[in-house]
Amino acid sequence: MKILVCVKQVPESDVPIHFNDDGTWIQADSFSEYKMNRLDEYAVEEAVGLKEVFSDTTIDVISVGPDRSADVIIRAIGMGADHGIHLKTEINGYLSPSFIAAWIAEYACKKNYALILTGAVSEDHMNAQVGPRIAAHLDMPCATGVIFKKLLSDNHTLYVEREIEGGNRDMLELKTPVVLTIQSGTNTPRYPSLSNLLRANKQELEIIDTRKLTQPETVETIFQVAYPVKSRAAEVLTGSPQEKATKLLQILREKAFIE
Amino acid sequence: MMAKSIIVVAEHFEGQIKPVTYELVACAITLQQINPLPIKVIILGDDVAGLAREIAEISGQDVLGVRVPHLIHYNGETYRELLAKLIIEYNAKFVLAAHTSQGLDFAPALAVALHADCISEVENIFKKNGRICFARPLYGGKVVAQINSEADTSILTIQPGMFKPKETDFQRPGKIEIKSSGFHPHQSKTLGLKHADADTSGIAEAKVIVAAGRGIGEEEKLDAIYQLATLFPRSAVAGSRIICDMGWLEYKCQVGTTGATVTPDLYFACGISGAVQHVSGMRGSGFIVAINTDPAAAIFQVADICVVEDLKTFIPVLIEEYMKSKSE
Repeated sequence: MKILVCVKQVPESDVPIHFNDDGTWIQADSFSEYKMNRLDEYAVEEAVGLKEVFSDTTIDVISVGPDRSADVIIRAIGMGADHGIHLKTEINGYLSPSFIAAWIAEYACKKNYALILTGAVSEDHMNAQVGPRIAAHLDMPCATGVIFKKLLSDNHTLYVEREIEGGNRDMLELKTPVVLTIQSGTNTPRYPSLSNLLRANKQELEIIDTRKLTQPETVETIFQVAYPVKSRAAEVLTGSPQEKATKLLQILREKAFIE
Repeated sequence: MMAKSIIVVAEHFEGQIKPVTYELVACAITLQQINPLPIKVIILGDDVAGLAREIAEISGQDVLGVRVPHLIHYNGETYRELLAKLIIEYNAKFVLAAHTSQGLDFAPALAVALHADCISEVENIFKKNGRICFARPLYGGKVVAQINSEADTSILTIQPGMFKPKETDFQRPGKIEIKSSGFHPHQSKTLGLKHADADTSGIAEAKVIVAAGRGIGEEEKLDAIYQLATLFPRSAVAGSRIICDMGWLEYKCQVGTTGATVTPDLYFACGISGAVQHVSGMRGSGFIVAINTDPAAAIFQVADICVVEDLKTFIPVLIEEYMKSKSE
């Protein structure tokens, strides 16, 4: 079975985010540390888990992004993927999911993947569109938010449970080739192994310049970024930790939450 | 060609109209005030006549019910196929779906099929510089992006809870039209629904919830969360999805879109970033206290009281001060 896993590099976001002077996007040096999108780790783990069961499985891992994105491809190879593809772009800011999906689909269309996996949503831009868009480009069935999957004995049908609201699940069967977007918590993503990382560093990634791929029309444009508006009082307590604690206890007493 | 229109895709589940459907109608009316196009609500399903009538009566909007035999439960392939045809037929300028497990399953593929654009998780719509602007969150809600679209058709998935249905002031129910479709999915087969096995009643019934997020750092720090919870009568400990994904709490303790929706009198958010998937499950709490080291954390946008501190050091101080005050 040939599997393609789509991964994305996202910034560590526990840092203050500053905007550029005209407020049209985030200041270029806002982020200094990057990582693999958390949900994509579950997608890679799903693929590696399948390879452990079906030994004739090969796993390609693909990412669209600037030079630094190679790090997450190498990490995925470290986790057990076989081959890495980097669709390189100079765009360092917002990249529409319509571009990412069209380029990955253009790469994947002649490769006969039985299974294309990706995380259900990215932590940075949160569009949750790349998986279902790839499926539409390739006319493949798709299930989003998948939490459980099992290949049935005919080797062409996947039984899938996708998570819906309130923790309930849709149960469905899909014919391969198929695109699945993987929900978090589906498995326990492994750490890259040293031997795999050594192999990853030795092997060359397949690098494709996205300027040579079909350019989708730009449709949506982010023209301004802003900080969210507070929906409640959002009183910020000040002082030392002790002073804040005393003030908080006073408020909780006034509201009769504690004695 | 038919004049342009706004299409609302109704969401229903186990024979009931989901309340988000009326939020979508409210959103369509907001859009209509900027761009005066007719609104049509579309509902797909096996037995839609009664549901279509209900929507027409409650919303006052015109409704098209498409009867699809055996479409008892949501099937993405069927929605994508039928909606693509209907969007062309009704020359939709805007298609409004809910940003739920259904909407975000079919909307992106519709955009590909129709060369439309797809803007997910829209929280607000307004006019700016003479153009329609869509606002949606980025980076776990720390940033709001304002978006323009050049596309002939825009598929929007609307974040639940952001558009409030207004008191109806219409004179009559909307018109109802029922069609039939023989479409049968060939790439996928929906087998039905598996109900959640996690019993969330423990947190759903609590008066006070102390909730832990990624900011607690390590599993051992949950002890402090449990200790804090003991200060309050009828309290429970809950967590964000990531805490449950890591196995630190059971999924029955998860608050958010895919977990429980809770409305305690007091919600204590400890080290929770405040992504909308979590916030949608606790926004209705009576009083919200948030502790986070990141002053820009999105959770502070919905909090009544913000404490910018490391919970690992602050919670012990808080408990200590409480004990001191009790002994005085």
